[in-house]
Amino acid sequence: MSYFVFQLKRNPLAIIGIAILLLWIIIAIFAPVITQYTYTEMQPEKQLVAPGEANHLLGTDELGRDLFARIVYGSRSILTVALLTSLLSTILGVLFGFTAGYFGGRVDALFLRAMDILMAIPPLVLSMVVLGILGDSSIGSLTLIVSIAFIPATARVSRGVLLGEKELEYVSSARLRGENHLYIMFVEILPNTVGPIIVEATARFAYSIMMVASLGFLGVGLQPPTPDWGMMVIENKPVITEAPWAVLFPSLAIASLVIAISIFSDFISKVFTHEQ
Amino acid sequence: MNNNILEIDDLHVSFNTFEGDFTAVNGISLGIKHNESIGIIGESGCGKSTLSFAIMNYVAKNATVHGEIRFKGEDMLSMNDHQLRSIRGNRIAMVYQNPYSSLNPARTIGFQLDEVGIFHQNLSKAEAKEASLEALTMLNIADPEGVVSRYPHQVSGGIQQRICIAMAILCRPDVMILDEPTTALDVTTEAVILDSISKLRKQLNMSMMYISHDMGVINKVADTIVVMYNGEIVESGPKVELFDSPLHPYTRSLINCLPRGGVVKEKARLHTIKGYVRKRGAHETGCPFRERCEKYTPTCEERYYMREISDKRYASCDRAYATDVPSSDDKKKPIEIKEKPSDVTKPLLTLHNIHKYYPNGKKRVYAVNGVDVEIPPSSVLGIVGESGCGKSTIGHMISGLYPPTHGEMLFKDQNISIAWNKRSHDVLKEIQLIFQNPGRSLNPSHTVEQLISRPMKVLSTFTNKEQRTQEIERVLKRVDLGKEYLSKKPQQLSGGEQQRVALARALITHPSLLVCDEVTSALDVSVQASVLNLLHELQSETGSSYVFISHDLHVINYLSDYILVLYSGKVCEHGLRDDVMNNPKHPYTEALLSARGEVDPKVKRQVIDISGELPDPTKQGVGCPFASRCHKKVGPICDTEYPATVVLDGGHYYNCHIKEAVK
Repeated sequence: MSYFVFQLKRNPLAIIGIAILLLWIIIAIFAPVITQYTYTEMQPEKQLVAPGEANHLLGTDELGRDLFARIVYGSRSILTVALLTSLLSTILGVLFGFTAGYFGGRVDALFLRAMDILMAIPPLVLSMVVLGILGDSSIGSLTLIVSIAFIPATARVSRGVLLGEKELEYVSSARLRGENHLYIMFVEILPNTVGPIIVEATARFAYSIMMVASLGFLGVGLQPPTPDWGMMVIENKPVITEAPWAVLFPSLAIASLVIAISIFSDFISKVFTHEQ
Repeated sequence: MNNNILEIDDLHVSFNTFEGDFTAVNGISLGIKHNESIGIIGESGCGKSTLSFAIMNYVAKNATVHGEIRFKGEDMLSMNDHQLRSIRGNRIAMVYQNPYSSLNPARTIGFQLDEVGIFHQNLSKAEAKEASLEALTMLNIADPEGVVSRYPHQVSGGIQQRICIAMAILCRPDVMILDEPTTALDVTTEAVILDSISKLRKQLNMSMMYISHDMGVINKVADTIVVMYNGEIVESGPKVELFDSPLHPYTRSLINCLPRGGVVKEKARLHTIKGYVRKRGAHETGCPFRERCEKYTPTCEERYYMREISDKRYASCDRAYATDVPSSDDKKKPIEIKEKPSDVTKPLLTLHNIHKYYPNGKKRVYAVNGVDVEIPPSSVLGIVGESGCGKSTIGHMISGLYPPTHGEMLFKDQNISIAWNKRSHDVLKEIQLIFQNPGRSLNPSHTVEQLISRPMKVLSTFTNKEQRTQEIERVLKRVDLGKEYLSKKPQQLSGGEQQRVALARALITHPSLLVCDEVTSALDVSVQASVLNLLHELQSETGSSYVFISHDLHVINYLSDYILVLYSGKVCEHGLRDDVMNNPKHPYTEALLSARGEVDPKVKRQVIDISGELPDPTKQGVGCPFASRCHKKVGPICDTEYPATVVLDGGHYYNCHIKEAVK
């Protein structure tokens, strides 16, 4: 932990990244305190109000909904889905990757081919098709499908780190005292691989944000009335010439969050690689 | 002082790291004369390598360097890159520890050698090639023309290091710096390379600085010896006098803790140095060795500085033989060895004609080819041989990491020719394996308590947690570690402490057979001595047996009751320790014995040159595997027929066509 602080002090960019990320998390948690409007409240008389006017900080959209409130509440859904996705895909990826790498041989070959097939389809296309067929995009289904689309990446990384650790003598030593496979995989090996796995998970976090926003933009993400940043961009696209802010602000929100998480991920990776 | 070719004056090197500033080199002054050979000795972490890199003005970014380094009177620390380039590799050449990583794997050996001549001496391609071939010839490389067209991975480690040395001497440098050049090599190869280094130095009139942790090696190549501890020179002087009567307590301890000159466990405990080398803070003063020194007095808190004690001999202390501080020599008394039951007839472990083949692509690697050996209860079998001889494979098969391909292993009348997953918990408990590198064999995420208690939970009957804790504390105490270690993780421990934890983990199940695979090879000599003492004590206390695997004949000689000499997966010679060591019958045993380094400069031994190539491990030869390197080859029979076993008295036997010849 002290090393974390030591590195942070020499890395101003990381401070900015972490600050933005924390800011978004605080906004998501305290949404009702931050804005007096709700994200569904339509005020027909206040369509496309410019930012700062008539008590609307970021203006309103075509239906007269407060953009600030929609962005604030939108952070909740996107952060929830992204966080759950990175967690779930990491857990599943570690399970698959560890099993394949640990047992090797046929299990591993089967795993690698399965991953090849899954990877042949771009995650975005895969999620889009599945969600389109399902026709229902709740937070649950979105999380599950994006997680599955991300499994190949996390599984390959965890398989890789396991292969390195498996050769070390502490694993042989555990075998020689008759430990079972699960104990060796998860009690002996797993704690020594958390560094690269956490780095991978934070990278997945950033990708998830992009993915959820893209799916929203394509119309297969979270369904209205849930506010979704990607959806907000496409909703307001027709009025882009009269009210550019209605597209600009949700886009900025997406960009700032993705960049902040990417910076954080790079920093975490630096901290972990230095520790080893 | 003007005939010094290289002069180092009050050199300081310190590093700024996350853990704080620490000093690697602290006020070193040193001069190397023309044609002089200086040996620098010290344990790991003493700043030897930092010193050599600082001379080349080649240090890490976070380092601060003060002082002066003068090469032929010019200060190297104030030179620019261009000036340095004309000296590095040209006037001062350096050879590193690991030849494999110093050579570029993507270029032929010839290309890399020629480059030196073309770059530094503006030779034409043809001239450079000629110079390269000449340099290779000087190092006794057979078929230099063939070697230059090969890539580094196509030649053996010994040849690779010779190529690095050839590269260093190509420009006929004034000074050659060698940083542990033979540490990664086998003893027999090492002996031959050291021999040619000494010859080359005389032939080319070079000055030399040879860095090593190994006294035996330094003894072979250096005239003057410099002893370093924690970034400071603690003693320097001519070789013979220094080894004869060391002035600094550190030098003395270092020499005394080696198992050398035929010292064996029945006669003496090895001398040890308490504690371990610690990183030194940037602002610490006083004698660097004071906290480990048994001659400590309050005056040690101040810096003593190097003083001339007698002619040409300098030391920063004069207390090696001080009488006002009593020596703890009583510790050197050997511990009592329990009388072994003489009517023991049944061996504890019997290996019967075991083989191990590994698949390697479409080929097979024959690692072990028919080894028979017995281990009686309460005895130590030392297995010795060069790398690749199959000694570790045997140890791993006994402990159950993998089963033998053919053959039978009997342990207490049970057939254990099976791997761990088929062995009963009783057998797993009874046979324990300790690995070479405790940093890899102890899980870095687990605490010492978890590490030691786990085998007990899985294999023993201790179900009561309190009982377990008591037992752990007892075993920890037995390996000289206190309760405070329970909550520590391996990274917080020194190498010696880690190996003690590994030992405690093995002992906790009360095994009757302990397989020790090069357990002291990764440790510094002072720590090695204490671990050897401990192993010996524990063995005679518990009456267990050891299979002790090592490449170091001194260590094997110290601890073993029986010795097994292996070559290319086959037994060369087996017998009681004294029979094998004093009366070797197999030419390979003889060659190994001739190659081991001694610390006594008065002992001169003719090194037997067995520098040929090892047999290809993917082919099963018909003759004696050692025939290609043997200095006593009888004739064609050695290549065509595997020799029959010659049995002598006392279980001493060997496999060679020579029946009587070796004396």
